[in-house]
Amino acid sequence: MTEASIALPPQTPFSQRIKKSLFATPLDCLLTLICAFFFTYIIYLFVDWAFLSSIWRADDEPLCKEAGGACWSVIDARHRIIFFGLFPFEEHWRSTLACAVMIVTFIASCVPWFWTTMKLSALWIAGFATFYILMHGGLFGLSVITPERWGGLALTLFIFAAVSIIGMPLSIVLALGRRSKLPVIAKMFGLFIDFFRSLPLLTILFTAAVITPFVLPGWLQGDKLYRVIVGFAIFFAAYQAENIRAGLQAIPSGQDEAGLTLGLNYMQRVTRIQLPQAFRNSLPAVVNQFVITFKETSIVTIVGFFEILASGSAAFGTGQWTVHYIEVYVFIGAIYFVFVFSLSRYGAYLERKLRVGHG
Amino acid sequence: MSVINNRLIPTVVAGCFAALSLVSTSASAENGDTLKAVNDRGSLLCSGHNGSFPPFVQVTDDNEWSGYDIDYCRALAVAIFGSDDNLKVVPISWAQRFPSLQSGDIDVVIKATGWTMGRDTELGIQFSVPYFVGATNVMMPKELGSTSPETLEGGSLCANAGTSTERLAANFFKSRGIEIEMITFEKSEETRDAYFAGRCDSLVGWGPNLAVTRQSAENPDDHAMMDVALALEPESAAMRQGDDNWVDIVNWMFAATWIAEANGITSANVDEHKANPADSTVEKLLGVSPGIGERLGLSDDWAYNVIKQVGNSAEIFDRNIGGESVYKLDRGLNALWSDGGVIVPMILD
Repeated sequence: MTEASIALPPQTPFSQRIKKSLFATPLDCLLTLICAFFFTYIIYLFVDWAFLSSIWRADDEPLCKEAGGACWSVIDARHRIIFFGLFPFEEHWRSTLACAVMIVTFIASCVPWFWTTMKLSALWIAGFATFYILMHGGLFGLSVITPERWGGLALTLFIFAAVSIIGMPLSIVLALGRRSKLPVIAKMFGLFIDFFRSLPLLTILFTAAVITPFVLPGWLQGDKLYRVIVGFAIFFAAYQAENIRAGLQAIPSGQDEAGLTLGLNYMQRVTRIQLPQAFRNSLPAVVNQFVITFKETSIVTIVGFFEILASGSAAFGTGQWTVHYIEVYVFIGAIYFVFVFSLSRYGAYLERKLRVGHG
Repeated sequence: MSVINNRLIPTVVAGCFAALSLVSTSASAENGDTLKAVNDRGSLLCSGHNGSFPPFVQVTDDNEWSGYDIDYCRALAVAIFGSDDNLKVVPISWAQRFPSLQSGDIDVVIKATGWTMGRDTELGIQFSVPYFVGATNVMMPKELGSTSPETLEGGSLCANAGTSTERLAANFFKSRGIEIEMITFEKSEETRDAYFAGRCDSLVGWGPNLAVTRQSAENPDDHAMMDVALALEPESAAMRQGDDNWVDIVNWMFAATWIAEANGITSANVDEHKANPADSTVEKLLGVSPGIGERLGLSDDWAYNVIKQVGNSAEIFDRNIGGESVYKLDRGLNALWSDGGVIVPMILD
C-alpha cells in the first residue's frame, strides 16, 4: 500500500486542475463560457423536445401539434409493432419471453463460469431451442407461427444470435485453414475468404433469398430466413476469420515449435497455445465485428424481413402517424444503443480481464 | 490475391446476372399449375411490404396487415378457399417482388405495380386487367379559390428533383402556356415540408402519396387536388407467364367486386340479393345459377364469399383510401365508368 502511494506522481486537487486547464487566461475563460453555454443550450433543446414539451399518451395525439415537442404517443400506440412486427397480437407473450430468453442467454455466455466448450454449447442449444419453440410453436399446445410473421426486436435478436453461433466457429476453421501448411488447403481457404469479402453483403443476402431457390433442389432450400442467415453467417465468418488470423500471426512461431518439441499434437497446440492467445490479441477487432454485425442486421429488410427498422417504418407508416417518424427513429436508435453499448462495454471488460501478464 | 479478385468480381457478378436471366426466362408456369400448388399448400402467398406503403399496404395496431392491396389479396384467398384464414402475406421489398414471383416465394404480386412493356415482355410476367389507376396530380391550398391549372399562372410548384413527375409537370404546364416556377428538392420530406412552409404554391406527386401527404397537414381540408391529372399509370396484379387459368381467376376476382358494385350488391345486402336475384347476371355472380365457378376451377359461390367477406369495389376503396379512411381521397377515375371513372367491369355471361 505505502509502496504504491509512493510510486504515484504528486496529485493536484480537482479544483486546481479545472482552473489550470479551463480558466488560465481571460481568453480561456471566454472560450470555456461560450462552449459551456452552447452545449447547455443544445442539451436544453433536446431535453425540452424529448421530455418537457412532449406528449406521452396515445390518446393525447391531437395535442401534439400544439405541444411542439416529441410526440411519444406514436410509441405508446404502436410499440407492439416495433417490438413484435407481424407476430399475432394474442401471442405477444411468446415473443416477449423468447426475447428475454435470448438476452439471458447472451448475458449468461458472457459470464466466465460458462466458458468451457461443453457448458457454452449446452447453454446455446437450450437457449436456441427455447427461443425456437416459443416463436415457432407446434409443441406443448402452442399454435404454429411461421417465420414470415416473425418480426421486430425478436427477429433482429434471432438473426444476430444465429449468425454469431454459425459464424464464430466457422471463422475459426477458416482462419486455421488459411494458415495451414498444406499449400492447396491454404490457397482454397484464402480464396473462399477473399471471395466472400469481395462481395457486398447486400448481394449475398439477395442471392440467398431470391436466387438460390432457382439453383438448389427443393429439399435443400429450407425457409428463406435460414438461407439468409447462412449467407450472412458466411459473410460474417469471412471477416471474423481475418481478425482471428491477425491474432494468430501475432504469436511468435517459437511457441508453436516449442509445443511441437514437447510432443503436443495439432489439436492440443491449437486449443492450448494458439487460440487463447489469438483471441486475446484480436479481441478489440472481434468485438468490433460483432457490433458491426448487430447493426448490419437491419439490411435484411431489403429481402423482405420485418426486423426492427422495417417494423419501425410500418409503425409510423399509417395515416395518423406518418408525421411522427422522427420519434420512432429516435426510439429505435435508443434500442440499438442499449445493445451495442452493452456489447462494447463487455468487450472493454474482457480486455481488462484477459490482460494477463501484459501490464 | 487482390489482383485475382479485381478481375474476379465483375466476372462473377456478370455470371450471376447471366445465370439469373437464363433461369428467369425459363421459369414460367404451366396452365393450372398455380391454383393446384395453392390448393396443395393450403394457403395463398401474396405480396406484402417491408414496412408499409400507405394506403396500399400497412399494419394495424394489433399487428395485422391491412390496406387496399391487402384487401384484394384477401379477396383472392376467399375466392379460392372461402376464407381469408388461408392467406399468407409475405413481406417483400420493391426490388424483390418480381424475382420472388419467379422463384415461387409468392403466387401473385398485388402491390401498386405499374403495367409496363418491359416487365410484361422481358421479365416473363403476365399482368391482370388494371384494378387501380394512379394519377400524378398537383395539390394546392383551397384558399387559391379554384383547382384549375390556370389558377397557378405565375405561381410556383414544389417537385422532387430529377423524377419523372418533375418532367411531367414541366411539360404539362408548358404545353398549356401556363407560366410556373419549378422549385425542386432532393428528398420527398424536404419537398413536402417546403410546400407546407409556404415556399411554393403547389406540390406535385403520385395521387395516393399526395393523399397521405395531405393527411399529414395541420388542416387537411385546407388543401385540394387540381381537377386535371397530369398522367395516369395503370396498376395491375402480376403473375408468372404461362398460367392462363391463374390470370383468369385474378381478373374475374377483380371483376366480381366491380359487377357487384354496378348491381348495388354490398357485403351487407348480398344475402338479400342471393335470395331474390334481380337478373341473370346477379344469379350467375352469386352462384344461384351455375357457371361462375366451374369455368375457373373454383366453387360456384366464390364471388358470393368475396362480396360477403371482403365487400364490393366501392367498399374496399372507401375503407382503405376513400371517405371512411383517414386519407379521404376522392374516388375520381377509380370509380366505375357509370360514375365517371375508368373502371369497366367485364361482361358476365
